[in-house]
Amino acid sequence: MQRRIEDLRGQGYPVRNAHFSLRTKSGGVKQKGRRFMETGSPEAEKQSHAIFRECQRGVAASFPVCIGIVPFALVLGAAAAQKGLAPFEVLFLTGLNFAGGSEFAAIQVWSNPPRVLLITFLTFLVNSRHLVMGATLAPFLERYPKKKVLPALFFMCDESWALGYEDANRRVSRGIRNAFSMSFYLGASLCLYGTWAGCTTAGAIAGPVLGDVRVYGVDMAIPAVFLVLLKGQWPGFKAAGPWAVSLAAAAAAYLFIPGSWHILSGTVAGLIAAYIMGGRDARLV
Amino acid sequence: MLAWSNALTALCMASVTYLTRIAGFAALRNRRLSPRLMSVLRVAPGCVLVSLLAPNVVSGELADMLALAATLIAALRLPMLPTVLIGMAAAALFRFFLT
Repeated sequence: MQRRIEDLRGQGYPVRNAHFSLRTKSGGVKQKGRRFMETGSPEAEKQSHAIFRECQRGVAASFPVCIGIVPFALVLGAAAAQKGLAPFEVLFLTGLNFAGGSEFAAIQVWSNPPRVLLITFLTFLVNSRHLVMGATLAPFLERYPKKKVLPALFFMCDESWALGYEDANRRVSRGIRNAFSMSFYLGASLCLYGTWAGCTTAGAIAGPVLGDVRVYGVDMAIPAVFLVLLKGQWPGFKAAGPWAVSLAAAAAAYLFIPGSWHILSGTVAGLIAAYIMGGRDARLV
Repeated sequence: MLAWSNALTALCMASVTYLTRIAGFAALRNRRLSPRLMSVLRVAPGCVLVSLLAPNVVSGELADMLALAATLIAALRLPMLPTVLIGMAAAALFRFFLT
């Protein structure tokens, strides 16, 4: 190792950084030298400073949203605990899935043992909005390599998408060429992720202590969340036809067919209605 | 303890969720979906949410339905957090006085 440092010194690199660069496991000496020259140069220093600032900006932007999701995380954790999930299982679920809407839906129909196919299908349907969200980000993300984009997309939830997309559009209007800021997006995403995974687990731990939360009306929190989400997605009276079809079909199935079939029948009926309507009214797009 | 059925369900959920996250990007990198499919995708999350809400709408319990109506009115005007608090308060109050 000493010899390598000498080599590097011979090439004109300061040793303070050389030690750091030699600790990285990948690549040969030459690559380490190149890497380290990048981190040592003034431009690179400026750039890493900018990355840090962008991260900070993302953290700051996500802060109010994080506070907003704390109660839902706690409610979800408590509801999951009521369905018999251990705190560790809640962390496992919310940490890997990280999509609140689908988790609320899954917990609503969770049983012991859970119906894997039903819940997986539900999760797909609830999260199918990610397809649209990812599609809107696609033009912004094209300049990044896939190995960066694919992990980053793991953290794309409603809130991080909204923050990142809005920020990118604002920067476009300010005339910034590479408008989407990955550091901003990741700063915001990681805050949201930590808050969500941490607080759902806390809810699962604290939930049983609180006992039957129905008397406090806590179970109304989930329909309330759904109603607010629905308002956010309201497509206008004309385009909301599929929702009406869903509601009617789901209500009928709930009243007349035992089991949880109302969710599937309502959704599928609505999707069919949307498909038929979509052909008739191109303005929907 | 991680029960295997719970773990399996969580893993399945996580897999399809990640799939939805990358598929939109992957599919639309260079292409566009047909307008008809886009319109279906746009209302799909709402269809699911409405279907999940349906039992609350037709629950037949006066207190719950009144609370849901109050929550709906709140949801039309207020952001997420106040709506949830109002919904919970309404449910607690109506249940206390009507049952």
